[in-house]
Order: sequence, then structure tokens, then C-alpha cells
Amino acid sequence: MKEFTPGDVVFTTAFPVQRADLAAYAEASGDHNPIHLDRAAAEAAGLPDVIAHGMFTMGLVSRAVVEWVAESGLEASLTDFSARFAKPVVVPAEGGTTVEIEAKVRKAEADSVELAITARSGGEKVLAPARATLTARS
Amino acid sequence: MLNASYVGRSLPTTDPVEITAESVARFAAALGLSGVPAASGAVPPTYLITLTLPAAERLVDDPDFGLDWSKVLHRDQRFAYHREVRPGTSVTCTSTIESIKTVAGNDLLSLRTDVADADGLVAESWTTLFVAAATDAAGEAA
Repeated sequence: MKEFTPGDVVFTTAFPVQRADLAAYAEASGDHNPIHLDRAAAEAAGLPDVIAHGMFTMGLVSRAVVEWVAESGLEASLTDFSARFAKPVVVPAEGGTTVEIEAKVRKAEADSVELAITARSGGEKVLAPARATLTARS
Repeated sequence: MLNASYVGRSLPTTDPVEITAESVARFAAALGLSGVPAASGAVPPTYLITLTLPAAERLVDDPDFGLDWSKVLHRDQRFAYHREVRPGTSVTCTSTIESIKTVAGNDLLSLRTDVADADGLVAESWTTLFVAAATDAAGEAA
């Protein structure tokens, strides 16, 4: 995948996030921690308001990657994917929030490309860059 | 504080669980992935967390380990996929405690969960949990 150049931005996207999305994710994932659903529970845990599941945010990043792979027609599988949940994604009841995602090429090898992906919400970088490695299907 | 003598230990491997098309569809829909053409038919990249985290959560059942799930925040996550996982596959999970680091009374608990199907290892999931120190009140109650 030497057609990719380290440092190049390969996609940017933004996803709105509402409380209802967190409720749907809690159901689908089985993670029913109330800090993702209920303001009082979030405050009791020392948080300013309800926060998204870290895995919901990572899931949105995976969606951005999967959509980009589909659009660009890459014949590749995601073989490695990591993230650190650096700051919470705070989701107010009114209006929700937005997660903005930007992916840059970190490394291009003959049969793989590694992306460094930032996610921002509420003016903060919420992930210490996520990394995704796509490997050509043999 | 967690019991550091557990580092290196593995929990018993879970019974095989079938990854159903319904559970995958529900997970994909919750992330807005249902409209994306899945060329390979693989499960969404983060789907395995629905199996690996509950497998690790069984640690709370061991009072000697000292894990209170209400004090836990997810800090890091990594997946490595050796093969694509498709709906209809039955998998087992084996969780191992890789490290416990204590910082200012809080613990960082790092776990690796091996996900295997009938042909062997398909994926690995590394999870680091931040486990907040017990508050004084909780300490007195304990």
C-alpha cells in the first residue's frame, strides 16, 4: 500500500451523538453502567454530565474507518485497532454533542497501511490517537 | 487495591458462545454501521468487546482479588485480529491478568482476552481498566 504517504489526511468526518444513541449502545453492547445514561449517576461518579462509553467513541472511529474503506474500494481488513480514552465525551440531554474524526497515514508498508486517528468533542481530544492497521486481503 | 499476586493468572475459558446475526445487527445499528456495505461480512471491528469485557468482569466474583466494578473506567483498548470473525461462529474467551500498576492508590489493571473458534485463536483483546481507589467511607465499611 505504498500509494499512501505518511502525514497525509485520508479522511475527516463528524458524527452527532445524542443520549438516545448511548441508550441504544448500552442495549447492544450489554454495558449498562449508569454513568452513560443518567446525569445523577454521572455526577455521583465525579463527572460533569452523562458521558459516552469509551467503546462507543471507539466504535464511531471504527465506523469512519469502515466507511472510508468501503468508499475507497480498498481490499483490506482491519487487523489491529487501538485507542486510549484520554478525555470523556460529555453528552448533554439537550442537543447532545458531536465527535469529529480525522485520520492521517502513519506508516505505509507493501501490504498494509497504519492510520493515526484523532477524535475531538467539546473542544477536547477525547482519544490519545487511535491507531488502525489495514492489511491487504491475500 | 487489587491483589497483585493475581498477575499472570488466567480465568477459566468461557463456554463457547455463538455470535448471532441478530446481536451483530443490533451492535452495528447502534453505531450507525448498518448502512455500510460490509464487503467481507466480518463483525464490526469493536464487536468482540461484548464478549471479552463480560469474560473479564467475572473477576468481580472473586473477593480475594478485590475488584469493584463500580470504580472502573475503561482507559485503553486494543484489538488484534488474526482472522475475520463472522456471524454464526462460536467462540470462547480466555482472560489473563497481564499487569497491575498502582498510581496514587488507584490501580491500572491490564488484561488480555484470547478469542478462539474451533480452529484456534482468531483475535486478541487488550483492555486496561482504571480502578479508582476506595473512598475513606468505603474503606471503613469494608
